[in-house]
Amino acid sequence: MVGRMENKVVIVTGGGSGIGRATCWRLQQEGAKVVVADRNQAGAEETRDLMEGDNQNSAVSRVDISRSGQVEQMVADTVSKFGRLDGLVNGAAILIRTPPLVEVEDVDWDLTMDTNLKGTFYCCKYAIPAMLEHGGGAIVNISSMSGVRGVAYSVPYAVSKAGVIHMTKVAAAQYTHQGVRVNCIAPGGIDTPQMRGSTASAETFQERNVEHPMGRVGRPDEVANLITWLTSDEASYVSGSTYIIDGGAWALAT
Amino acid sequence: MDKLIEIADRAVADYGFRQAVLYGADDVARRWALSDQEKSVLESTVLQRLGALPIPVQPEDVPGEQARLAQMIRKDAQG
Repeated sequence: MVGRMENKVVIVTGGGSGIGRATCWRLQQEGAKVVVADRNQAGAEETRDLMEGDNQNSAVSRVDISRSGQVEQMVADTVSKFGRLDGLVNGAAILIRTPPLVEVEDVDWDLTMDTNLKGTFYCCKYAIPAMLEHGGGAIVNISSMSGVRGVAYSVPYAVSKAGVIHMTKVAAAQYTHQGVRVNCIAPGGIDTPQMRGSTASAETFQERNVEHPMGRVGRPDEVANLITWLTSDEASYVSGSTYIIDGGAWALAT
Repeated sequence: MDKLIEIADRAVADYGFRQAVLYGADDVARRWALSDQEKSVLESTVLQRLGALPIPVQPEDVPGEQARLAQMIRKDAQG
């Protein structure tokens, strides 16, 4: 064990799959106590089984982050079990494909915003006071390149992810001086169930690999490395920033 | 059951929407104002079938899966 996160307690929402799962695993490798939070309890438990070994330094929280009361309870349970909260990784999100803007239905907009934006807000809202009780902490919000550039496949998703980037800046402006660092990452194409699921066909997925400057999309563990660093004390002077992690795809496109 | 079939159709074709249905059935039932009977069919037949689908359903298989699920919904609705 390397120990960059020794004795730190971190909640990872969306921990039941993809980047969230890889992050849970990586954080625990570094010594963190990890709460795997997800609406998908089976997925969260699978993550915990993958990372647990024979120690008791993890927990599963079944939570719908769009529900304020459930998020508040998740944070309270974490503090009750582990005694403190040092980190929050906001990874839970949904990506619903929608038609062009004028045809987007209210229900799709609301469903997306309630999870991706309001859910991230609730998690910050309840985690920050718990972090302040022990002198501070670190939050990493997971946005997307969809929140940086224009995309054709989902207005609500792209706007929600842009909102996450701005929420990061506002939260950093308000809480960095109290010891809570708030940062954001914007991944490009990463080989997760969400990406495979939102790619029309296996053929299209393969095309995305071939067209990428690195010849492949990213892996969840590569993103987890960045998240872990931002959560750790090694990033002690980093707050309010958004890191693009896309293997150079955006640089090539612009 | 038309509303439920429409939800099922979208969930077959769009993995993100499928996740919203699979892990937020209560929420979906509320937002789409499903009847008690529709909610019951959603929570049994629809969730079970959606949970077994591949990620994603390949485009050529979407119409067939949608038709199969619609048939299951209609059958359940008739009791």
